[in-house]
Amino acid sequence: MRAPKVLAAGVVAALALTACGGDKGTTEEKGGQFTYWSMWKENEPQAKVIKAAIDKFQAETGTKVTVEWQGRDIRTKIGPAIAANKAPDLVENGFDVISSLLASTGQARDLTPVYDSEVPGEGKKVSDVIPAKYLDAMPKDPDGVTRWIVPYVLNSAMFYYNKADADLAKTPATWDDFVKLCETLKAKDKACVASDGDNTWTNFLFMDYLLVRDNGPGTMGKIVNDKTGAGWDQPGVLETAKRIEAFVKAGHILKGYDASKYPAQQTNWATGKAAFHLDGTWVPSEAQKNLASGFKVGEFAVPTTAGGANTELDIIPLGFAIPKRAKNPEPAQKFIAYFLKKDNISGISTEAKNITPRADVPAPEELLDAQKLLTDSPSRLPIDGVSGDYLDKALFPAFSELWLGKATAEQFITKAKEGHLAYWKANG
Amino acid sequence: MAVTSTAAPRRARAARGGPLERQASRLFWPFVGPALAFYALLFLAPIAYAAWTSLYKWDGMGAMQWRGLGNYQTLLDDQAFHYAVTNTVKILVVGGVATFAISFLLTLALREMAGKMFARSVLFFPCLVNALVFGIAAGFLFGPTGPVNKMLNLLGIDAVPKWLSIDNLPAMIIATIVWTATGYYTTIIMAAVDQIPTYLYEAAELEGANAWQRFRHVTLPLSWEVVSVCAVLWTVSSVKVFEIVLLFGGGATVSSAPIQTWTTAMYVYYSAFPGSSVPKLGLAAAAAVVSLIMVGVFVLILRRMMRRERVSL
Repeated sequence: MRAPKVLAAGVVAALALTACGGDKGTTEEKGGQFTYWSMWKENEPQAKVIKAAIDKFQAETGTKVTVEWQGRDIRTKIGPAIAANKAPDLVENGFDVISSLLASTGQARDLTPVYDSEVPGEGKKVSDVIPAKYLDAMPKDPDGVTRWIVPYVLNSAMFYYNKADADLAKTPATWDDFVKLCETLKAKDKACVASDGDNTWTNFLFMDYLLVRDNGPGTMGKIVNDKTGAGWDQPGVLETAKRIEAFVKAGHILKGYDASKYPAQQTNWATGKAAFHLDGTWVPSEAQKNLASGFKVGEFAVPTTAGGANTELDIIPLGFAIPKRAKNPEPAQKFIAYFLKKDNISGISTEAKNITPRADVPAPEELLDAQKLLTDSPSRLPIDGVSGDYLDKALFPAFSELWLGKATAEQFITKAKEGHLAYWKANG
Repeated sequence: MAVTSTAAPRRARAARGGPLERQASRLFWPFVGPALAFYALLFLAPIAYAAWTSLYKWDGMGAMQWRGLGNYQTLLDDQAFHYAVTNTVKILVVGGVATFAISFLLTLALREMAGKMFARSVLFFPCLVNALVFGIAAGFLFGPTGPVNKMLNLLGIDAVPKWLSIDNLPAMIIATIVWTATGYYTTIIMAAVDQIPTYLYEAAELEGANAWQRFRHVTLPLSWEVVSVCAVLWTVSSVKVFEIVLLFGGGATVSSAPIQTWTTAMYVYYSAFPGSSVPKLGLAAAAAVVSLIMVGVFVLILRRMMRRERVSL
């Protein structure tokens, strides 16, 4: 029933536009028009929520929205479109893609005006509904701007577990508690964490979190940006690597992790073969269909070390951006503010099962713990937003050896430093 | 052996002299010109553009910055590119030798076997299947508790290999490529072998030649032209190996494939469309130019090595 209605609304909007007359894009139509490239395919739940909002927006404002459901390929298409001066007026993606593709290259528009504008009908500004801490953590573009994205999904990375499991009733507060809990589980013949050995970004989350817990905020970023490689020689970094080595050697990772292919072990966690899984907040919906019966998903943050000083939590926002060369930025900006209205963005939680950046929009039930953690904890970027190029080429080959039990902490540091120096020699 | 060989004239006869030749030479440019123009426009110009881009630092959108040979220096220093070249050469040489050895073995068997058309179709089948299927199937078949390991366990082998560990992935990838390519090349080579008159084999047999000798002295020389074309096709295709690496490495994004498994094609793609770092189109172009030179050199060497005098009956 939905499609004909949507179609009808679209036709009405189109007719309304023609009635208004005028050449497309040149003369002032009632609400103007803009083009929108989505990272979703039309049948994905997120796309359905966005489409419903677009239809209402068109009907209410008379703006014509030309939307293309590009899917994940959008990443490879934005650059050439901008180069050909045919940039879409509105794009969307994860912050890491927008940051590297548009913001750091000086191609993203400063969206401060969107944050200063009102969420239609709510009497609040956009900056009142999206907490500044999420945006302040974003990397700066060449002009020092961090407001080049307006997120509508707020992912994070944390531990997932089964709240219905009596053995896991009390979540660990410190890393030592966590390791102790793993020992207890081991005595009961239960594996502690599940990990897909080939999913190095995810596995590195352990080390990334422990690095900041042990050594303070921004540790990884500082190590990477010190081209001499001295960052790798800090005693605290070795200490963190030793925690990982001890954890791996103690056999707390579900067996077979070094010879399987993602998402085999994630599925094993869902079926109850391991107690915990550390990954992005997309895991609960990905694992949904494999969950053991009675499984009640809950979350907790990677526990603290060193007196519990550091409780930072990763944020992985996904949202809108406008290329600088967009020809119709104003209507696109209006749409962004419009989409953040509670009754529009709520669908992202209820239909698409994602957490939104609005604290007053409840997350899906399986992510309620995560939402509370996000609201309560200071924010940081995973791996301090270090360029993927460095991670894939310099760091991950070394780290996977440590994680797969083939290298000691000292050997890891040596190899990571070698990779670091080689990277900067090639890219310096 | 009832084979006579005559040397084919190396060069076309000089196109001078008679009126027919003169006419032909007058029409040479009008006929060749359009094709050459298309070729230049669609192939040579893009290659020249890539070579030119490879001298710059460019994100694909903003201004280009001159880097001279800097991108080539980066390739020399980049560990990921070393892996990429090593893997590509391994696929080309190790994979090539394996593919052709198996193809010849199959040719040997297929020539005389009953129901060979059916067998050929079966062999060709893997070539038709999308690489995506292999990527997904491998995760299932070769997983730690997958059917392959279960079978080995049943056979009493407890120390099962870690098929999908990062160290073993390059070998797994080569094995899959060989498996899919074998059917393709066997089919082409068989088509050539079918043209060889059976009396040659009968004569060879009468003279006491065994299966290997029949292959060595009849099959191979008489299908040599086709085999050498296949070798060139293999070289070109192996430098383009891409999706199978992507799929073995995890699937979702390029960066989920560990650099230890990259090929030059993966390196080019990653540089141009990285997951979360600034695109480096200059570097991508430099890597593409290096790959192109690599194919060129390999094909030249191969053609030289495989040059034989044509055997005619």
